Amino acid sequence: MLKLVLTRTAASLVAIFGASILAFVLLRVAPADPARLLAGPFATEEVVEAQRVALGLKDSLVSQYFRYIGDFFQGDWGFSFSVGRPVIDQIGSRLPASIELGLYAFIFALVGAVICALLATYRRRRAVDHTINGFALFGLGTPPFWLALIVLLVFFGILDILPGPEGRLSPRQEAPPEVTRMYTIDALLAGQLGTFFDAGKHLLLPALVLGFAPWAFFFRLLRASLLEVSGEQYLATARSKGIRRWTAFRRHALPNAFLPTLTAAGLIFAALLAGSVLVESVYQWPGLGALVRDGVIEQDYAVVQAFILIGAFAYVVVNLVVDILYGVIDPRTRTGSAVTK
Amino acid sequence: MSTSVAEHGQGAGLSPEHGGHVLRVAGLQSEFRSRRGTVKAVRAVSLELEPGQRVGIVGESGSGKSAFALSVLGLLEPPGYVVGGEVILNGRNIAELDDRQMQTVRGKEISIVFQDPMSALNPVKTIGQQITETIRKHQPQLGKKGARAAAIELLRDVEVPAAGRRIDDYPHQYSGGMRQRVMIAIALANQPNVLIADEPTTALDVTTQAQVLTLLDRLVTERGTAVILITHNLGIVAQFCDVVYVMYAGRVVERAATADLFAHPVHPYTEALLRAVPRPDQLAQGPLPSIPGAPPNLAEVAPGCSFESRCPLGRGHKLCRTEVPVSTAAIGFGSGGATAECHFAKERVAEYLDGDATTA
Amino acid sequence: MSSTESTQAAGNGHDEPAPLLRVEGLKKDFISGGSRMLGRAGNVVHAVDDVSFSVARGETFGLVGESGCGKSTVARCILRLLEPTAGRIVFDGVDIGPLAADEMRRLRRRMQIVFQDPFGSLNPRMNVEAIVKEPLVIHRIGEQHERSNRVIETLELVGVTEQQARRKPHEFSGGQRQRIALARALILQPDLVILDEPVSALDVSIQAQVLNLLRELQERLNLTYVFIVHDLAVAEYFCDRLAVLYLGAVMELTDRERLFRAPLHPYTGALLSAVPVPDPAVEREREHVVLAGEVSDELATGGCRFKARCPIGRDRDICGEEEPALIAHESGHLAACHFPGELHWLVEPSASEES
Repeated sequence: MLKLVLTRTAASLVAIFGASILAFVLLRVAPADPARLLAGPFATEEVVEAQRVALGLKDSLVSQYFRYIGDFFQGDWGFSFSVGRPVIDQIGSRLPASIELGLYAFIFALVGAVICALLATYRRRRAVDHTINGFALFGLGTPPFWLALIVLLVFFGILDILPGPEGRLSPRQEAPPEVTRMYTIDALLAGQLGTFFDAGKHLLLPALVLGFAPWAFFFRLLRASLLEVSGEQYLATARSKGIRRWTAFRRHALPNAFLPTLTAAGLIFAALLAGSVLVESVYQWPGLGALVRDGVIEQDYAVVQAFILIGAFAYVVVNLVVDILYGVIDPRTRTGSAVTK
Repeated sequence: MSTSVAEHGQGAGLSPEHGGHVLRVAGLQSEFRSRRGTVKAVRAVSLELEPGQRVGIVGESGSGKSAFALSVLGLLEPPGYVVGGEVILNGRNIAELDDRQMQTVRGKEISIVFQDPMSALNPVKTIGQQITETIRKHQPQLGKKGARAAAIELLRDVEVPAAGRRIDDYPHQYSGGMRQRVMIAIALANQPNVLIADEPTTALDVTTQAQVLTLLDRLVTERGTAVILITHNLGIVAQFCDVVYVMYAGRVVERAATADLFAHPVHPYTEALLRAVPRPDQLAQGPLPSIPGAPPNLAEVAPGCSFESRCPLGRGHKLCRTEVPVSTAAIGFGSGGATAECHFAKERVAEYLDGDATTA
Repeated sequence: MSSTESTQAAGNGHDEPAPLLRVEGLKKDFISGGSRMLGRAGNVVHAVDDVSFSVARGETFGLVGESGCGKSTVARCILRLLEPTAGRIVFDGVDIGPLAADEMRRLRRRMQIVFQDPFGSLNPRMNVEAIVKEPLVIHRIGEQHERSNRVIETLELVGVTEQQARRKPHEFSGGQRQRIALARALILQPDLVILDEPVSALDVSIQAQVLNLLRELQERLNLTYVFIVHDLAVAEYFCDRLAVLYLGAVMELTDRERLFRAPLHPYTGALLSAVPVPDPAVEREREHVVLAGEVSDELATGGCRFKARCPIGRDRDICGEEEPALIAHESGHLAACHFPGELHWLVEPSASEES
C-alpha cells in the first residue's frame, strides 16, 4: 500500500514537471513581447531592450526556466503588468473564491448524481428513469452561460428570492475573518450565521449552474454502472442471506458501482476547482476564471503561466487521490501491487 | 483416502402421503415480461421435499430450473415476476409474505448456493465479512466476536485450510473450489431446513467438483438439511439425489425415484436425454442418439405438448399437437408417486412392466 | 502433397505413414509479475513443459486435463498464435517454426480452429454468409460468384440453410452458432481442425447433435482433429488416442481403450473416478478417489509434479526426488509415473466396500 502511494507520488511529480515546461514554453513562443508591454507602446527601442535585459529575457531559455521555477517555489510568481500587483497576491485572493464555488458545484453534482442514479435504477421504474435521463441529456447539451442567465432571470429577476450578480456577498455584508478565505467555512468558524447564509445564497445559483453538466455526465456513468452491478450474482447472494434489499444494494452494489466512475469523478472535480470563465462572468464572481480571461486579453502571461501550473497541480493531486482511493476500495489493485513486491 | 457418496439412503424415494413435507411447492408460475412479449419461464411447477431428502431438478438451459429456484426464494427480480402458486415452507405459504417478512426466512429456513463462485461473492468485501453478514442477521445475539468465531468454525467445517488466517482474505485470493466452499458455508451458516444448490459444481473442474460434492454430502447429512440440487449433469443426479424432477420448457415432465428414472424413463424426453450423454463407463459405438431441433420459444406457447416437435413417439400425433398432456401417475412400478406428463405414459409403463415380468 | 520424410516415422518403428502433425518437446513459458523498467525478473510459469505427440491423418487426438493444464496453450502453439519457447511443430513434414509470415499464412489455410464459445467467436455485426465467406476473402480464394457458391455448399454441409445465411449470429441458438463456426473453419478445406472445447457450452441434447456432425464431417472430408476437452465422457466417446495433461506436462498417452479401461497414471485414475456416471446402479456401487488439494497447491520443487495430490505417491521418497519420465509400457502405452498401474484397483468397483 505504501509502495503504491510512493510510486504514484513519484509519477505525479513527473507530470507536474512536464506541465511546468509546457506552460513555460507555450508562453515563450506566444507572439506577445512582455518588455514592450511593460515599457509601453511609445517607448524607444533602447528602453525596450534595457527592459528585456532587466527581465532576463536575453538569457537562455533553460536558465530562464530554472529561474522561473526557483522563484515560483519562493512565492515569487511574477508580476502582473496589467494590474500592477504580484501574481501571487491576485491568485491568493481569487483562488479561494473559485475553489469554494467548485467545491459546492462538485458536491451538488456528486450527491445529485448518486441520488438520481439510485432513483433511476433501484426500483426499476421506467418512467422515473426516463425522466431523469431526459433531464441529464438536457444538462449535457445546454451551454452553462445561457443556463446561468436564465436561472438568474427567473430567481432574481422574476421571483426575486435569490441575490443578483453581485459577487460572493451582499454589498453591505462584511467578509468573515480570513482563515481559509472560503466565506461559508470562515463564517461558520467565526460563528457568524448571518454571513454564512448570505454567502450560501450567493453561492447557490452559480454552483448549481456550474455543477449541472458534471451532474448529468456523472449521473449517466453511475446509472450505467449501477445497472451492470445490480445484475451481479453477489447481490442475489446477499439477498439470499435475508439482507434487506436496500441494505444489500448499499453494501454490495454501491461500492462496486462507484469503482469505474472514480476516475471521471476526479477529473470533474479538478476541472471545477480551476473555475469557469463564463459562469464567473455572469455572476460577477471574483474567481480565477475572470482573472485568466483578463490575463489572456492583456497578454499578461505571468498570470496565465501561474494558472496553468495551478491547474496542472490540481489535476495531478486529484488523480493521485483517486489512485490511492482505488487501492483503498478495491482489494484487487492492492494485491496487484503486492505481487510485484 | 476414498469416500463413497452413495451411502445416503437411496430407498428414500417418493412417498405418496403428503404429511411431513419441509417444503411443498404447488403450481408455481413465473414469467419474464418484456416489450417483445411475456416468457412463461415456470409453468405450474409442483414439488415436494421431505426433511433431509435430496431432490434433483434436471433440465437444459431455458428449461426454467433456475427461475424456479429464484421464485421459491422470492428473489426473482424485475422483469421476472411470480404470478401464481404456493410455496409452503415449514407449514406456511412464503409466497404470500412481503419482502420484510421474507428477510427472516431467507438465509435462515431456506438458502441457496449459486453456480458461479467467481461472481457470487462480492469482490470488495472479505470472506469473513460476507459470512458474518448472514450470521449477524439471523443470530444477532452472537455479537461481532461471536459471529467471527462462528464464521471461522464454518470455514473449518467446509475444509478451507488455515481458516483463521484466510477469513480476512478477499474472494480473488481464493480458487474457484474454495469460493464454492465459502458459498456453502454462507448457505449453511444458520442451519436452514432447505438448501437449494443451483448448478453448484458446473463451473468447477472434475476433481474439484468431486471434492465439493463429497463435502456437500457430508454437511447436509450431518445437519439433516433437505436439498434441491439443480443441474444439467445426469451423473451428479445419479450420485446425489433420491428423487429426480425432469424439467422441460418450464414444466416438470417427469418425476420419479432416481433409480426408477434411470432404469425406466417414462417420458420420451427423459429417455432421449439419458441416451444423448456419452457414458464414461461404456465405450460408445456409432452416433450418439441426439434430440433433433431445439426447445420451444416460451414467449409463444403453442397448444399441445411442448416436446411434440422433437418427440420420437408423438411427433405429428394429433393428440400431442393439440392437447397438453396431464400429469399421469406412473403407478405400478418402482416406488409410488412417480408421474409423467405424456399422452403415452400409460402404455410406456405397461411396456416396462411387461419387460420386467419377462426378465424376472 | 507427398512428404519427403515419409519413410522416417518418428519413433513409431513400424511402417506407419508419416503423421500429419508432430509436436516435439514443445515448451511455452509465461512470465508474470516482472518489470523491465525496474529490472526485475518475474515468475516464470511453465505453461507447457516438454510436450510431444503425433497425430495421424484422419485421426482424432484428444488433449484432456483440467483448467490450467496447458491444453489450450498447446493448441495455440500448434497454430503459431503463440510462439513456442522451445520445441518443434511439424505439420505435414514441414517444420513451421522457421516459416516466414506469408508462408505461415498459406499453411494456416490447412489448419483451422473452432473455439468453445459460439457467442464470442462470431462477429455480431456480420451476417452468417459474410462470416463464413471471410476466410476466402482473406486468403484471396476464388471469384465473387465462386465464393458465394462455396459458402452455400459449406453451410449446407453443417446443416444451415441458404435462407438462414442472411441472418446475424444472435438469431441462432448456441448449437447452430457452433455449426456456423465450424463452417467458417471448413470453408478453406483444411486438413487439420483444432477443436477447443467445441461442445462444452452446449446443452446435452445439442451437444450430441454437434458431436455427431463432427464425426460425420470427419469421415466425409477426411479431417484430422485435435480435440481439446475437459469432459472425459465426451473425450472417451470422441477420441481415438489421447494425452492427459497435468500442469503443462503429459502424464499419460495412449489409445482410448487403454486409457479408459486400464489407466496407468494415478492422475488419470483419479480423474476417471471423479466423473459421476449417469446411472445410479453403477454410481452407488462405485468407489470415488477424491483428490486432496487443488492444482494451484503444487509447488515446483522437483520430483513428480503430481506428488502433492497423488493418492499413491505422496509419501514416497522417489516421487519427491525424481521426476518420472514419460516412458512406454506394454504396446506403446506411455505414462510418466514411478508406480504405473498401482491405482488400478481403486478405479474398479470393489466388492468389499459394499454394505
